[in-house]
Amino acid sequence: MNVVFAVKQYVSKMIEDSGPGMKVLLMDKETTGIVSMVYTQSEILQKEVYLFERIDSQNREIMKHLKAICFLRPTKENVDYLIQELRRPKYSIYFIYFSNVISKSDVKSLAEADEQEVVAEVQEFYGDYIAVNPHLFSLNILGCCQGRNWDPAQLSRTTQGLTALLLSLKKCPMIRYQLSSESAKRLAECVKQVITKEYELFEFRRTEVPPLLLILDRCDDAITPLLNQWTYQAMVHELLGINNNRIDLSRVPGISKDLREVVLSAENDEFYANNMYLNFAEIGSNIKNLMEDFQKKKPKEQQKLESIADMKAFVENYPQFKKMSGTVSKHVTVVGELSRLVSERNLLEVSEVEQELACQNDHSSALQNVKRLLQNPKVTEFDAARLVMLYALHYERHSSNSLPGLMMDLRNKGVSEKYRKLVSAIVEYGGKRVRGSDLFSPKDAVAITKQFLKGLKGVENVYTQHQPFLHETLDHLIKGKLKENLYPYLGPNTLRDRPQDIVVFIIGGATYEEALTVYNLNRTTPGVRIVLGGTTVHNTKSNLKSTGQFPRGSSGFRTAQQKQGELSSYSEVHKQTVNLNRRGERRRRVRRPAQLALNLPAGFPHRPQVLEESLGFHACPYNPPPGSLLTPEL
Amino acid sequence: MASLDDPGEVREGFLCPLCLKDLQSFCQLQSHYEEEHSGEDRDVKGQIKSLVQKAKKAKNRLLKREGDDRAESGTQGYESFSYGGVDPYMWEPQELGAVRSHLSDFKKHRAARIDHYVVEVNKLIIRLEKLTAFDRTNTESAKIRAIEKSVVPWVNDQDVPFCPDCGNKFSIRNRRHHCRLCGSIMCKKCMELISLPFANKLTSASKDSLSTHTSPSQSPNSVHGSRRGSISSVSSVSSVLDEKDDDRIRCCTHCKDTLLKREQQIDEKEHTPDIVKLYEKLRLCMEKVDQKAPEYIRMAASLNAGETTYSLEHAGDLRIEVQKVYELIDALSKKILTLGLNQDPPPHPNTLRLQRMIRYSATLFVQEKLLGLMSLPTREQFEELKKKRKQEMERKRILERQAALESQRRLKERRSDLAPRTANGEVASLRGGPAPLRKAEGWLPLSGGQGQSEDSDPLLQQIHNITSFIRQARAAGRADEVRTLQENLRQLQDEYDQQQTEKAIELSRRQAEEEDLQREQLQMLREREWEREREQFQAASLHTRTRSLDFREIRPFQLEPGREPRNHLAYALDLGSSPVQSSAAQKIPSPVSALEPVRVWSGPPAIGQEPLPQSTVSQQSELASLNPFEEEDPSSPTADSTTSPPAAEPASGPSACILKEYNPFEEEEEEAVAGNPFTNPDSPAPNPFDEEDEYPCPRPSSPPVPGNPFEEATCTNPFEMDSDSGPEGEEPIEEELLLQQIDNIKAYIFDAKQCGRLDEVELLTENLRELKRTLAKQKGGTD
Repeated sequence: MNVVFAVKQYVSKMIEDSGPGMKVLLMDKETTGIVSMVYTQSEILQKEVYLFERIDSQNREIMKHLKAICFLRPTKENVDYLIQELRRPKYSIYFIYFSNVISKSDVKSLAEADEQEVVAEVQEFYGDYIAVNPHLFSLNILGCCQGRNWDPAQLSRTTQGLTALLLSLKKCPMIRYQLSSESAKRLAECVKQVITKEYELFEFRRTEVPPLLLILDRCDDAITPLLNQWTYQAMVHELLGINNNRIDLSRVPGISKDLREVVLSAENDEFYANNMYLNFAEIGSNIKNLMEDFQKKKPKEQQKLESIADMKAFVENYPQFKKMSGTVSKHVTVVGELSRLVSERNLLEVSEVEQELACQNDHSSALQNVKRLLQNPKVTEFDAARLVMLYALHYERHSSNSLPGLMMDLRNKGVSEKYRKLVSAIVEYGGKRVRGSDLFSPKDAVAITKQFLKGLKGVENVYTQHQPFLHETLDHLIKGKLKENLYPYLGPNTLRDRPQDIVVFIIGGATYEEALTVYNLNRTTPGVRIVLGGTTVHNTKSNLKSTGQFPRGSSGFRTAQQKQGELSSYSEVHKQTVNLNRRGERRRRVRRPAQLALNLPAGFPHRPQVLEESLGFHACPYNPPPGSLLTPEL
Repeated sequence: MASLDDPGEVREGFLCPLCLKDLQSFCQLQSHYEEEHSGEDRDVKGQIKSLVQKAKKAKNRLLKREGDDRAESGTQGYESFSYGGVDPYMWEPQELGAVRSHLSDFKKHRAARIDHYVVEVNKLIIRLEKLTAFDRTNTESAKIRAIEKSVVPWVNDQDVPFCPDCGNKFSIRNRRHHCRLCGSIMCKKCMELISLPFANKLTSASKDSLSTHTSPSQSPNSVHGSRRGSISSVSSVSSVLDEKDDDRIRCCTHCKDTLLKREQQIDEKEHTPDIVKLYEKLRLCMEKVDQKAPEYIRMAASLNAGETTYSLEHAGDLRIEVQKVYELIDALSKKILTLGLNQDPPPHPNTLRLQRMIRYSATLFVQEKLLGLMSLPTREQFEELKKKRKQEMERKRILERQAALESQRRLKERRSDLAPRTANGEVASLRGGPAPLRKAEGWLPLSGGQGQSEDSDPLLQQIHNITSFIRQARAAGRADEVRTLQENLRQLQDEYDQQQTEKAIELSRRQAEEEDLQREQLQMLREREWEREREQFQAASLHTRTRSLDFREIRPFQLEPGREPRNHLAYALDLGSSPVQSSAAQKIPSPVSALEPVRVWSGPPAIGQEPLPQSTVSQQSELASLNPFEEEDPSSPTADSTTSPPAAEPASGPSACILKEYNPFEEEEEEAVAGNPFTNPDSPAPNPFDEEDEYPCPRPSSPPVPGNPFEEATCTNPFEMDSDSGPEGEEPIEEELLLQQIDNIKAYIFDAKQCGRLDEVELLTENLRELKRTLAKQKGGTD
């Protein structure tokens, strides 16, 4: 059920099958992404793959001393390119792998093009999806639907991706789908159709409890992708954007050249693997530890390595040191940038209100808070619009709904038209009319009791109180309590036992918050393995983009104040600390974020400002900056 | 509405995944599962397996709160660990996903196509062959034409009014031409010509492959050569008659195309670009490293742990060898990198990229592997390490023995309740082979105690085991078993005796070798001191030898424990009872301390200022060299017999009889009393140096300077040289190390430069300079 491993195994097998010798990997645009998610360059270099070429690139030289491994999606264009390639082969021998089912006629036309007998292998290896985490995959499709209906091309791509996933994991599942979504039903039918058609492929060893495929629609929970995130992976995606494990840092002020784009991959970055699900405060302290380690290992400039023993120690530590220096500077930069954005955009405060909007049902307090934040000049128009969207989604049918007033506030704040339009768009997309189940008010006794208890105990962390709706759905599913009238089975068969292997697919995109939920469910539920997938992995921006009307470009992150050119206040902004005493009006006992300071070593490539705010449970044990406040217990 | 009391919702801990029974601990769950569900589906088993693995991991956490086996509901959120779910990263490895091959289909379609294509090409080649088989230049054109027509039927002129390629009408001016290969018609413009060399190349290539296929005995070269000759002669003639078409063969564009493709194929088959050759070499080197490096790492790890399984020299050689290969890899990859850079049309960017990538991967390879090469200890460090390890082993052994004694005592007590015991039985139980408690009906002898089994060779161990079995069997009154066991024992002993004699021979042989080696080394070291007295030199050489033997000769020495079990046992008891000795045993003389007594003993000749006859010196040194080992003996009566005693033994004279007569244990006792009278038996002697200092005092023959024996070393003591040779002998090692470091750092500099880390480069260069300076200084010092 490990999707990263599944794809990696396919790629390894391809390379292995081609035997020793110099190799070139011929890919198309999509398979390039697929391979890059599971293999790093240095890793694949060790397997004698030295060149990576696009099948559609015209500027390829004849290199008969290379073996070619072609990993391609079985599209019409790719087959045409391949036919041309085989007519005039550039490499000595070709190992061809299609990432999905290819038609017999395509095979025939390829065979006829291979007059020089250069093809040694033609196979289908079903690595036709982007494996993000072991339990998370994506198809990188933005905007899969037109209105309520599938874009036909995307439907077929999604079907292919989903069936490839099932094949790569060797699962022939029963299918359930969300009844309220027409798209979910369509997709379920399409998948079923493929399974029936390719029944030979789907013949796997039967397990006692058959696996389950659950198809959901994003519009059932439009809230989750609108929230600010505080766990590392999710936060990076929300604030910086992760694209196939790559993060574009070129907009970070004062960034050094080699950090303009960094790769965060849990496969070969131990720090990231250990911290991707930790919250911002924990990462802050971990990164501090990482740095202290690093400083211990880093040879000081003045240190002359006097004895041979010193030198030996240095030389022996050198590779770790080098590897570490890469990791350290990368994470320090990323975390530094996150912290900068958090303070610049006043995200702690924004997030607290977001969470309140998402999780609690106190209309008047919510409205008050939203109104207050709309007055705050530091809140960007993007965040302001987001708050109003959340309000609109939650209190859509509330008796004293004051959305028009908030819209006025938005306009007064100078939030542009395009953002204001998004508010109605999102209600259109994920409003009550569309939702099949109730996002906000608890339905059954258990949930009511739970929420009551939660209210009594107080929330552990104000910023992470939100649980995606998916959690409840999966929880019910695992316990065999998911209602069949809301999530019917496709076909006559139903599952009598509790499911063990579950694939959840969200049309319209999953989020990293949901990935974290699934991760936790995997860790806490014995015998259950869940893989989450989506047409894409969303952050707020991409989510709004896929509702079709989000403006392109990143200008949305600038506050009105900054637009006027008051950039000189940057340093002020950085040094500001959150006034923790301010919110005494909260009734619930709430853990307050601690202060965290990071003193970076001199001579560091990029020196982020003090990482001050962080949230979470432990106060930072490291020397707090003079004059800063440590967590007061309320 | 879901019920609140659904068990799955609230229960946690060690639930059986199949029947949901709550089992209090991981062990119980496992046994429960094995008993109840062992027959069930394998998949579930896989799951529970992972569960079990997880649980094992969580065990440490659970251990802290042993009392309640249930994991408490975690600390917070995802930090909760022990529910039994599995981190997706830990999901057990899965098999390769589904695949489907289209190869057979593909081949079928291709075969149909290829057959057609190949037949076409072959037809053309055969015709070409026929057309070039005769001497064209000396044949009349009419005759040529006739032959040409016979090869392929020409298309009738009347049938083709237009050129099929360009569509021009044929006329008197635009004449028809026939393709000699397929017989078709085209106009002059569309006509192609095949020169004879080209034709020959094609035909001879297919002939070659044919001839090698059909009759390998027939040399293809001869055919080739003769053809070549004819070609050159033909072309020389043809150059004169350039205008004439007769030495070239007319054909249509299609045929020419096909032939050109064919030619390309032939060319590619024969041509291997430089990069491939270099690359193949590179890969060979890498394979070599992959083979050698693990071996070296094993050696280095063992040596660094102070073990004596491998020799330091051998490891050093291997290290150098591996490093040479690295250099070769570096050089080869550099060559690949710069391949064709100076050519006039510069290579295609992709070629350059390929070269860069190969270089990069080679650098990566070197980096990864070279840095995995741990360094070797220097000679002194190695000594130190060995000492440490020995001490540790000893401590362990003593602890073990004490534990064994303890348990034996306990067992003895228990057994004395069960059966009356003989004296013999007592010994048996002490030797670590207690008879097991009787099970239902069977009788099972236990294998020997830990003490012996660990160190002696398997044969000896077996003998021990069997003797103890015999005793146990006897005690149990099993006559038949005793008989068979005794038979076994006899065989084993025979075998063992044989082995021992072999070993003794081997030992003496090795020793001789070692001696030679030492002598050679010494010769090199002390060419300057050749003038000195010969006796002195020899005495010194003897010492160095004994010293070096001390740490180099490693031979399992099982005679004593094997032949004298009782003595040994008595010793073991002795050890257990006297803490003084055991603590004294913990310090093993370092090489320095091993030398020390030698100096002390050599006092008399120093006083006399007159060199003793060689024999006496050697005898004395023999005694002296025995001395340290005796001290060691208590430390290693059994296990450490692998180390020093055998080394001492051959030094004194490699004869097995001496060996047998000499009982280290008894002598040791004497030594402890006589040699060390001043040591307070109650206070464990602190360190060997102190002890050594005490030696001179009681002895009448102590040197005139009663104080520090080290000062003595500076006077005209014949053994002075010995102390000289120490540091000198170390010099090359230091140097070697330095050189290695320099190499390493150079590699890093290169690497750092490549990555553009200038600050690192600077730092490294600084270091390099420093190292070089040190090296130079050292060299200056020695000269």
